[in-house]
Amino acid sequence: MTISLDCEPRVVDVLRGDRQKRPRLDTTSAAGLRAQLEDGIHDIFTKDLPPSPLVVRPSSLRESWHATDLSSSTLGLIRGALVTQLLRLRLVGVTIDNAFDDAVAAWRADAGAGPLLATFDQLDGDDRARLATDVTAHDVTLSRCFGQLPSHWMARSCVRATQRLAGGHVILRDVVDLTIGANTAESTTVVLVDVTTSPLGESAERTLRFHALVETLRTSVVPLRSAVFSSATGEFWTRDIEPELLARSVDDVLEVLQALWSAR
Amino acid sequence: MTTLLHRRYTDGQLNALIDSSPAEIATLTDDHRRSLTSRFRAVSLTQHRRLDAWAVEQAGRVGGPFHWSPSTARRVIANGALRRHLARPDTSMLVCVHDEIDAQLTRVVAGHVRPGSLASWLSTLSRPALGLTVAEAVNGATQLAHVANAIEREWQLPDSDAYYDVAAARTTLRARRDLIVDRDGARVVLRLRAGAPGKSAGPGLRADMTIDTLADLEGVAPSRFIGLWPEAGVMLCVDGTMADLRAGARDLVRTAVAQRRSALSLAA
Repeated sequence: MTISLDCEPRVVDVLRGDRQKRPRLDTTSAAGLRAQLEDGIHDIFTKDLPPSPLVVRPSSLRESWHATDLSSSTLGLIRGALVTQLLRLRLVGVTIDNAFDDAVAAWRADAGAGPLLATFDQLDGDDRARLATDVTAHDVTLSRCFGQLPSHWMARSCVRATQRLAGGHVILRDVVDLTIGANTAESTTVVLVDVTTSPLGESAERTLRFHALVETLRTSVVPLRSAVFSSATGEFWTRDIEPELLARSVDDVLEVLQALWSAR
Repeated sequence: MTTLLHRRYTDGQLNALIDSSPAEIATLTDDHRRSLTSRFRAVSLTQHRRLDAWAVEQAGRVGGPFHWSPSTARRVIANGALRRHLARPDTSMLVCVHDEIDAQLTRVVAGHVRPGSLASWLSTLSRPALGLTVAEAVNGATQLAHVANAIEREWQLPDSDAYYDVAAARTTLRARRDLIVDRDGARVVLRLRAGAPGKSAGPGLRADMTIDTLADLEGVAPSRFIGLWPEAGVMLCVDGTMADLRAGARDLVRTAVAQRRSALSLAA
């Protein structure tokens, strides 16, 4: 489902969906997907194994071989990091006075910031002012489109996941910007939401699938839905997780691994 | 022979690990404690040292000084928030996290904190940094609540981590623990960890279990000590056998030896 959000409906309303149409808990697909991945990796590493683990991240799937992805530029990465901080602050009800200053303060407090923060500190006044305007615009879209999440949805931000495959020679790493819901004995309400500062394209769809695959491998339960929201355009894509979607993500991962292995 | 089981983390597997924990449990006697104390005294340092599973996993390598951050504060605040949530189930986790932080800040106002403590650090934070700390703590508390609610047996949140002071060796041992499950009179201890387990995760768990046993007044070991890595979807566990306790104690002493060597070479 693709929705362009201006004000109504909000992300919250779209994510709520129809309770009557929720599928039963799927705890069997994970083992099959893992086996598919292991078989595919075995075919790629035909003779020898990589000296250091090959790591697949959502950004590995975003990289286009034919065009330059603007979101991968340093300024794009910094903007993404700052907008993520704003999302985290908004989710816990922090009042944002100055979007840029608050995002930078939160980012500095985050221990994982590292080299990107050092690059940010070296930006000149013009670049910083341009970035501040950009971040503020993204924050306006976030605040208009997201709405307040109900507390019983158990919203978690920046949820990390790691999966080791092929005896640790392949690592899938993922960070989901927003995870809501939980698994119960009979059904799942887990929805994964990625927030990107780029307009949505084919790579966003691959990211959406990757989140669903890693979550399935991590918890052995297929999540209900995976979604991606663009704070640049207000576009919001949401997909119910079906076996075909997960199988396509397996193909995406194997394709990236093949490219990494060939390029070594 | 020591034990180490590896399982994928699902609610069913977690309950199976708890249910299948061994009925025969080892107990540490005064002789065991005296023996361990004499070994630690032999490698004493001029300053006080604190050893934990992380030090064992790092083979005694001394890292940089400890700094509070939203990630390092997450566990303490999350456990406190979950305790509040259990007392008032109708209150949301977010409110419980805010209450926990407010309680810490109240202690600062009352002057009941020392410099470098969590409460002291929280009082220095800007509003956005505090917001990020809240976000991390909500993640931690929700994760811990999910694990706890999936356990079919009776469980409780421990009041504190396990500490054991080694007499006259200037050494304190600390074992982190997040949930204690009652298994027919015996206890199964759970510890939640971030990231993915490394090659030394097993020795780390054994060290935690040994310290937890030493901190027990009767010296009774947990029937099983489970390490849970939710981010990786993996569980590792060790059993409370005498072989595992001995291995845990041995690793702790080796860590103390490595730290002493490092301190002596730095001094030279």
